[in-house]
Amino acid sequence: MIIDRSHRGWFIASLILLAVGGLLYVPYAFLSTAGVGGGSVPGIIYGSVGSAMMIFAGLLGARKKYRTWRLGRATWWMRGHLWLGFLSFPFILFHAGFRLGNGPLTRVLMALFLVVFISGIVGAVLQHFMPKMMTERVSMETVFDQIDSVLDQLVTEAAQIISDIAAAVEHQIEREEAAEELLPASGRARKAGVVTAPDERVSGQITSFFQSQMKPYLLSRHTRKYFLGNPIQASTAIQQLKVLVPQSLWAKFDDLENICEEKRELERQRKLHKILHGWLLIHIPASYALIFLGVVHAVLALRY
Amino acid sequence: MEQDFSATFVPRQQIQITIDGKPFIIDRTRGETTTIFEAAQKCGITIPTLCHQQNEKPVGVCRLCVVDIGQRVYAASCVRHIEPGMQVKTSTDDIKSVRRTLLELLMADHPSPCARQKLSADCELERLALQAGITASPFGPRATHRGHDDSSLSIAVDHEACILCDRCIRGCNEIRHNFVLARRGKGYQAGIAFDDNLPMGTSSCVSCGECMVCCPTGALTNKVVVDTKLGEGDRVALQELQKEEVFRGVSGTFLNLNSNAVRKRTYRPGEVICKEGDYGSTAFYILQGQAEVFLSSPLAHVNTKGQNGFFTKLKSILEPGNASQTSNQPRKRYIPTDGPVDLAQDNRLALLEAGDLFGEMTCMNYYPRSATVRAKTECVVLEMLRNVLDIMRRNRSFRARIEQNYRKRALESHLRGIPIFSSVTSDFVGYLRDRVELRQYSPGQLICRQGDPSHSFFLVRIGFVKVTETHPGGDLVLAYIGRGGFFGELSLLGGGVRTANCIALDHVEAVRIPVEDFNLMLDRFPDVRRGLEAVAHERAVENRQRFAQIQSVPVDSFLAQGLMEAQSLLLLDLDKCTRCDQCVRACADAHDGVSRLIRDGLRLDHYLVATSCRQCKDPLCMVGCPVGSIRRRNSLEITIEDWCIGCGLCANNCPYGNINMQPFQVQSDDPAHPGRKIAEVKTKATACNLCPDHDEPNCVYACPHDAAHRVNPREFFADLARQTGKGIFRP
Repeated sequence: MIIDRSHRGWFIASLILLAVGGLLYVPYAFLSTAGVGGGSVPGIIYGSVGSAMMIFAGLLGARKKYRTWRLGRATWWMRGHLWLGFLSFPFILFHAGFRLGNGPLTRVLMALFLVVFISGIVGAVLQHFMPKMMTERVSMETVFDQIDSVLDQLVTEAAQIISDIAAAVEHQIEREEAAEELLPASGRARKAGVVTAPDERVSGQITSFFQSQMKPYLLSRHTRKYFLGNPIQASTAIQQLKVLVPQSLWAKFDDLENICEEKRELERQRKLHKILHGWLLIHIPASYALIFLGVVHAVLALRY
Repeated sequence: MEQDFSATFVPRQQIQITIDGKPFIIDRTRGETTTIFEAAQKCGITIPTLCHQQNEKPVGVCRLCVVDIGQRVYAASCVRHIEPGMQVKTSTDDIKSVRRTLLELLMADHPSPCARQKLSADCELERLALQAGITASPFGPRATHRGHDDSSLSIAVDHEACILCDRCIRGCNEIRHNFVLARRGKGYQAGIAFDDNLPMGTSSCVSCGECMVCCPTGALTNKVVVDTKLGEGDRVALQELQKEEVFRGVSGTFLNLNSNAVRKRTYRPGEVICKEGDYGSTAFYILQGQAEVFLSSPLAHVNTKGQNGFFTKLKSILEPGNASQTSNQPRKRYIPTDGPVDLAQDNRLALLEAGDLFGEMTCMNYYPRSATVRAKTECVVLEMLRNVLDIMRRNRSFRARIEQNYRKRALESHLRGIPIFSSVTSDFVGYLRDRVELRQYSPGQLICRQGDPSHSFFLVRIGFVKVTETHPGGDLVLAYIGRGGFFGELSLLGGGVRTANCIALDHVEAVRIPVEDFNLMLDRFPDVRRGLEAVAHERAVENRQRFAQIQSVPVDSFLAQGLMEAQSLLLLDLDKCTRCDQCVRACADAHDGVSRLIRDGLRLDHYLVATSCRQCKDPLCMVGCPVGSIRRRNSLEITIEDWCIGCGLCANNCPYGNINMQPFQVQSDDPAHPGRKIAEVKTKATACNLCPDHDEPNCVYACPHDAAHRVNPREFFADLARQTGKGIFRP
């Protein structure tokens, strides 16, 4: 989500809440005789408010699951998640008196809270910048789940192009041989010293290039070991094959180059997509654990 | 007493004439006339002719039959009568020279070899020219062209080959008494014309074929239907065809030429004659027996259950019963079919009898079959291609029977099946029965023009009608109306002037209700008037909103992408979209697990135009639906009703791939083993309908990043252009 002017309302409300919370904490901290702590009345209030904010933030998951329920737009829930989640941090700090826990449970809670908070910040930053980066860097983007299917289609397309090139080269060789046989002996002798047509080795070279390099590259997920992953090297290699065939076939090599470029873009998309969503693998489980342990902490603290 | 035979006595006359130096005596009845041509024929002397035909009144226009009778000018033998002592010379050098010149003049303009010469090598003009030794005419062809007319399904008209012999005119008028053909124009523009110079296909021509049989050249030739196969079946003998009432009045030669386009088939009870959703090119006429017509596709939406768990999987099933999302929208009570009856929603089975014709729309317009027809008793049918169907449809007695059938069996269900007209009583339908008129329209024919006075209301019986509104910027398509639909009511309600153009998209047959009867219906049934007025108001509001849009083209590529046709685009702002697929999943959740959008498509700058219904101004998806299940409500959204038979025509028609066919498995009756069920895969069409139950579509509502928006493309990109300073503005 891009944090822009449309968040202004949330920003102002959060600022006000923070200011109020902070202003109330100051006299509480200085005037409290028993010291600041989670067990005091203000401490419990801060803890409750902070927990409520965390729970609301956690409800985003439920809101996303029940997508068609008319419980408010998902955009509103996401903004609430961001700002109230952010705001929960100072309120929990107010609740804990700026201590990182005084027992194993509270220490674990605080650690989890830090993990959730920091991963959330990272996620918010990633979601702010990365979509635009993906749009700019991946012009041939497709649906993420379809990337493998698209790559299969690219392999099929490349195989067809290679087959067409090989057939055209063979045909050219046959024509040259037929034309040569019609030449007088002196003509053939003059021609023998001049390389004008592709010979049988060219189609073999092209096919071998496809089988040993291009096809494995297109199908592989670990593309670093293939030189085709580098646009300059790929272009050079294809250029070297291009000059071996008649000019009428050069456009097909451009198609092969485009296929390699599309593969690079799709791998780029895959990588960026993982970065954009990978942080959730930490944030979500940590959040569930935080809420669960938070409830345990609240029960234990209040009851005992 | 002398017997008086005066009443029966026929006086004979003998006239002596000389033809080519030989004396002949011509015996004839006193009072009768004999032409030189007839006399020569009786004497075994052939005089060439082009315009004369024995069973027609001679007119002497071609002048090929001229003979020398010793007068100042040569006489046309087909019209000149013999006189006692006449000296006739039929083939002097001079006369041969005259005939040669005439043939050369005719051949100069003749497209040799003409269609008849190519088909059967019997063009009379080319034969005479060959006999006269003419291989190429010394004269130049005419500078102007008279053109071709391919509008008829059974006869091709090549005006270039017409020699204006008038044989076709006389055949149409004197022999068949149809009075369709006549002459038109002058000089080089002279030609034959149908009715008031209409194309043959749209004229009152009954396709009897007499003109084609009479024509000596390739100006009128039989059309052969190509690329369609009738397959096996009993060929029908000419005599058998001629016995059928539906072919009465059709030239035997013409029928014989088309006998390859018809087969007789016999079906056992329970045997399927045609299956819904199959593509075809033939129609069926029941000679004997009865057949059942029904829809075997279940009346239900696709329902897909998602299995819970981390790895979700969608499984499509069918749920019985219709759960239309907009229960406040009235729905049709009858499902239109390509036959003489419609199917009731609650009982989708009807009976066809001897004399019924079905499959017209499939045959004429190549649409998929609208229903399954199965023989109930032993059934003998004629299966025919479109040229034979055209002959049948134009036959007056057959037309009368079809119309009577429609009035008796289908008019009521057709009219009362439309929810607005559901309160019309059977008595009133009975009153209307004899007052309505069935009219045929050819593809592209204008049925009514915007701005013209309105005199009638129409129900569509066959085919599709395109309704457009003309504006300074061009025509806007408002709707495609198929069988079961209606048009013309707004103009009758609102002052008697047509508010839109209605054009036949293909072969259309419409029921015309005159304005007096329409007004009477509105007076007697206030519910109908209220319903129509509500529709009219809704459409007027919708049109006003549509045409208040800014006429601007914000980005050059906008036009190139065909997005001008869209009224509503689902745009994803790729700078905000995290590719979480919440929109797709929300769409699937809202539609029983079947998503109607794909998060892929065209890219405009940093916007993605998702593959989802665009609610096009010209909804090509609606054209050809055999059961009228894809339609547009009075607002934007396209909806697909439960009785979709899954033929896939709408999906094929959509140029953007926004309609998907979802397969599912059903249990159907096994035709080979009655009483048993077999599993069968059926399909249903699905498309985005903008979630009409909510203010916002679910995909937009569920996007957590404010990236998905349904926009009016013109307004959106115009605003964008103003903000960014890009684009071209047109006032």
